[in-house]
Amino acid sequence: MRKATAAAVGVGEVPSGRFPQRSEIEAAVLACREAIRDAGLSPREIDVVMPTGALASRHFNVDLVFSRLCEELGMLRSAHMNVQVMAGGGSSSSMLAVAEGLVASGQARTVLCVHSDAVGSLPRQTGVDLFATTGVSEEWEAPYGHNMNAVGALIAARYMHETGTTDAEMAAVCVSMRKWAQLNPNAMFRQPLTVDEVLQSKMVATPMRAKHCNVLADGASAFVVAPSAEARAMTRTPVYVRGHASLVTHYSLSQDVDLAKLGFEVAGRQAYAQAGLGPEQIQIAELYDAYPVFPLIALDGLKLCRGRRAGEFVAAGETSPGGALPMTTNGGMLSQGHTGAGGGVAVLVEAFRQLMGKAGERQVSDLVNAVETASGGTWMDSHVTVLSREF
Amino acid sequence: MSRPLPKPTAWSRPYWEAAAQRRLVIQHCRGCQSLIMYPKRFCPVCLGDDLDWREAGGRGEVYTVTVQMAGPPSGFADRLPYVLAVVRLEEGVQLMTNLVGANAEQARCGDAVVVDFEDAGGVALPVFRLAEAAS
Repeated sequence: MRKATAAAVGVGEVPSGRFPQRSEIEAAVLACREAIRDAGLSPREIDVVMPTGALASRHFNVDLVFSRLCEELGMLRSAHMNVQVMAGGGSSSSMLAVAEGLVASGQARTVLCVHSDAVGSLPRQTGVDLFATTGVSEEWEAPYGHNMNAVGALIAARYMHETGTTDAEMAAVCVSMRKWAQLNPNAMFRQPLTVDEVLQSKMVATPMRAKHCNVLADGASAFVVAPSAEARAMTRTPVYVRGHASLVTHYSLSQDVDLAKLGFEVAGRQAYAQAGLGPEQIQIAELYDAYPVFPLIALDGLKLCRGRRAGEFVAAGETSPGGALPMTTNGGMLSQGHTGAGGGVAVLVEAFRQLMGKAGERQVSDLVNAVETASGGTWMDSHVTVLSREF
Repeated sequence: MSRPLPKPTAWSRPYWEAAAQRRLVIQHCRGCQSLIMYPKRFCPVCLGDDLDWREAGGRGEVYTVTVQMAGPPSGFADRLPYVLAVVRLEEGVQLMTNLVGANAEQARCGDAVVVDFEDAGGVALPVFRLAEAAS
């Protein structure tokens, strides 16, 4: 067990969806302002600005690299460093881990982590083609027609083969997420969804149907990280980082030898050990999705289903509002929308928000500990973070 | 936009040249005897440069598979439906491929497959057929 050295002290977010009139920079500064205010700080108290990568616009991404946020947010000649940390969908946990190191070493007192992108406003085929090149080998995989929905499908097919998980159980993951999204004003999809509707939607890439697949969205979210020893002086609701572990399992999807597990079991064991906590002490699981198979792999790997099979656990309603283990309570990328690298940042921000008691209508009561996961590219890495209200 | 085709590197060119002769080859390290997929600049196990090529038997099994029915990347719309699969060769290495031929759309994890080659605009791509359908 290790001592928590860092805490999240503020969060910010703008609604996800299609907002062609809202630029990436506008969404970014709005999310940052909310996070800075939530932390009880002023812009000139931010030491490090840490944007992750944006995919829709090369120019905006370069602006993020070259300190535009410091200028827009009034941090010129006060911010010490602007550095991009980009790991695709794993950027959330990766930014948190890097920020944790900076505050633990004394290099920084405050780190502002932020994501903004507008992939939802891209023409549909442009979005498909963009994501068919994020972690897909140009020489070895693209020539066969590999693409992001196929990633979710290929991993789901192997997982279902090994575990006996059914189509209806896969659909139940989407339904669980939607029930939470109905309580989230920032979610893209809030209308009710049933297992039958998922199973009757158009087949895209077997066994994934249209409503098993995420939809690209515009969005932005941000959080502020500070040393754990100082966090309580900034906010009444700090969230301590108790453990984080991760494992890179592949670049090309075809080179992973265990697609039904990825790296979540290994990373989970290490993260629990760091935290000095076990699955029985976790009250909420903010698990990265994008496709329904991934929360199931994480539930299994993190031993969160009390000895039951993850698909059966979700289909029984245990992860839905009122269930034993609330899961991905912002609605995930399946319902809040897939904002690019920010899909994971939104899930992490939701974990902070729930532990801070700031989740509004979907607030889960009596929370102490949460587990969060993330993964980038074609699920190249498996991140597990254990968060707590307790130091 | 047309279908993307492989652009060989100096170290992968022998793989594609063999494919053009309807041969599947696997890079091999003479230093530590590792089989290397995909081909690399040097051996990722021992970092040595002493590499050569081994003929693959061309047989393997479906590790995982999907039938792409809709929403393909540019260059693939006229190929729908097409079958994407990860094949684990008898030699132990894995590769992304398409399953083609009889019953390819019914393929399941674990099914036996044999290699074939598809001419894709001047490049021969290794693809696979279900072994039962091929025999």
